[in-house]
Amino acid sequence: MSTSSAARWQSSASRLLASAAVAALAGFLCAPPADRPALAQSAAAQKQTCATCHVGVATSYSHAPMRHAMDLPGANPVLETHPSLTTQIGQYSYSVQTKDGKSTYSVTDGADTMTLPIRWIFGIHSQTWVLEKDGHLYESYVSYFPRDNGLGITPGDTRITPTNLTEAMGRKISTWETLQCFTCHASGAVSGVKLTLDTLRPGLDCERCHIGSEQHMTDAQHDNFSTLPKSLKKMTSEDVSNFCGQCHRTWDTVMRNHWKGPAFVRFQPYRLESSKCFIGTDPRISCLACHNPHEQLKHDAAFYDAKCLACHSETKPAASAAATMYKACPVAKANCTSCHMPKVELPGGHAPFTDHWIRITHPGDPYPG
Amino acid sequence: MSFALISEAVTRGIPSSNQRLQRRRVPIAAGSLAALLLAAGVIAQQPPQFDDLARQAAAARDHGDLPQAIALYNQAEQLKPDWTEGWFYLGLLQYSTNAYPAAIDAFNHLLQLQHGAPPALALRGLCEFETAAYDDALRDLEEAVKEGAANQPRNEQIIRYHLAQLLTRASRFQDAQEQYQFFAAAHLDDADLQVGLGLAGLRVPLLSKDTPSSNRPLYQAAGAAGFSLLAGDTQEADTQFRQLFTRFPSAKGLHFFYGFLLFPHSPELAIDQFRAEVSLAPENLEAHAMLAFTLMIDGRYAEAEPEAQHVLAVTPDMELAQLALGRSLAETGDIQHATEVLNAILKRDPDNLEAHMGLATIYTRTGNREEALREHQLCRSLAK
Repeated sequence: MSTSSAARWQSSASRLLASAAVAALAGFLCAPPADRPALAQSAAAQKQTCATCHVGVATSYSHAPMRHAMDLPGANPVLETHPSLTTQIGQYSYSVQTKDGKSTYSVTDGADTMTLPIRWIFGIHSQTWVLEKDGHLYESYVSYFPRDNGLGITPGDTRITPTNLTEAMGRKISTWETLQCFTCHASGAVSGVKLTLDTLRPGLDCERCHIGSEQHMTDAQHDNFSTLPKSLKKMTSEDVSNFCGQCHRTWDTVMRNHWKGPAFVRFQPYRLESSKCFIGTDPRISCLACHNPHEQLKHDAAFYDAKCLACHSETKPAASAAATMYKACPVAKANCTSCHMPKVELPGGHAPFTDHWIRITHPGDPYPG
Repeated sequence: MSFALISEAVTRGIPSSNQRLQRRRVPIAAGSLAALLLAAGVIAQQPPQFDDLARQAAAARDHGDLPQAIALYNQAEQLKPDWTEGWFYLGLLQYSTNAYPAAIDAFNHLLQLQHGAPPALALRGLCEFETAAYDDALRDLEEAVKEGAANQPRNEQIIRYHLAQLLTRASRFQDAQEQYQFFAAAHLDDADLQVGLGLAGLRVPLLSKDTPSSNRPLYQAAGAAGFSLLAGDTQEADTQFRQLFTRFPSAKGLHFFYGFLLFPHSPELAIDQFRAEVSLAPENLEAHAMLAFTLMIDGRYAEAEPEAQHVLAVTPDMELAQLALGRSLAETGDIQHATEVLNAILKRDPDNLEAHMGLATIYTRTGNREEALREHQLCRSLAK
């Protein structure tokens, strides 16, 4: 074997090993909860998971934001790479310490100190922690914000002025809010009106969107493919908005709750449906036209140009041969989102948020909605 | 007139049928109130005889000599019938001595001089409650709350308690439950409040005091479960409701009550309860309508449609069922019928947000971009 062929073999072997490792990881991430402890045992590792057949999408999804809507300490890169976070807010000092895969959250007023383990990490960029004290769950009063590379007051909590150490530690979360939070950030955490933390799986697993996938997996092992989960690819743009809006909030939800102002810019389906160009029958304008939920989010504005040009172009792209075309932008043909989907500063969010209300903007225009 | 001071006085003088809301006869800070009213120009310079009577009345009141104070205020008002402070104290003191008709008369005089004064409205409403003039009491207490009479924490309990009772009696059960929400949020509940909420929840248009003793255990237990849920203790509420279903298996309205409380938070769970209710009471059209509407909200349009049709076959004008039907037809493809139903609602009620949302759906699902945009804009303006 020549040096180069040996190198190629080694490279191929590395790729195979790497693929196997990723597939195993993906399999673990997509495994039903009962399978997880068993994966440590070689015999049980033979069990089927979604990744057994759908290795590509399962591997890709293992890195997707929704998969990490919630993490546990020890599995979160932000805390691992920021082992000591501190800040001072008013008379209270905060400290988040991470060591050996465990993270603690402390607050002190100089005289007394409260230290609690971080139970759950909510969010993939900015992150807020959920703490438990005396049987109640609390949203941490401070969160981590990547733009500041440090701690700040949790969005929505700036209106709170803590009057004691517990209030300074965090905001007690109501039962209904808890159920909603855990429904959208975790899998298997809610059963009826009960929070079922013993069956909680952090992040959203396959079953969360593909209802029936676990049954399908069981049946498929017996060559029964008659119980396939409902195909989500066949949904109209309107249906996709409503589907994603289960967590990202639908236009209906925002209307029914009379929500107004930039705090709700983060509810993308509602914003998208407010766009002049949105219509429920055109697949070129839907959540899935631009985003693949099984992949990492694309942050490059140029990536989205083709999505806009699918409708707004003087020449029809081949894929749009039968579809109606709309007026092309007279200003530019690239980086469409930089003008037509302006960044909006989320109040208290320490981050700009892309407004999905696609529109022609003018300097000084007020925030619509 | 300083509402804070008046309401302080109101708080001290108002009795209640509730242990927590018991009357406390505390001398009223008349001096500070009078000074404030004088500064505000409410009290003008009076002839000496009137001034003497007013001073003596205040002194008698401060010393707790209520009969003497009432007599002096009456004399003073004969000399100066536009003396608002006098009418207020006269009404308050008569209320404190259970002389409700006389108190109502005093507050009538005051309200003729100061139309819509929240403390007087609230006190007159409470007097009317005691004289069984329930419709008048409801009108006054609702108006008083609207004008801010319940903004003082200690007034709030007694006003909302009586208002909730009156709303239940008037079959305005949802409005009554909203009043009881205040007590749940403050973790205030006792037997009277539980019976009150139970009546509202089970859609029984009675005052607590008129409830037959044989039914009290059911209403109280239902109210207790309702309070648990309104206070956010969902697990405890679930346990209590399930115990109730076992204890009172044929009681109508229990599943509806639980479903109604679940509806704002979890339509999916509410649907199970509404289904159980219509199974137990097939004649309950309100339950059928809530089931249809909740199925629609939850996006289960194919199931919502027959439920709505069932209701409308009996009561064609029930708007809740019409909304459920219109939106469901829109989502399941019967666009023409959906448009007719929703437009019929809008003809009667042009600002009905849910009907406009249904039309927006129709237009976006049929590719009518211009009309969809117009309806979306309309909805946003209605949702402000």
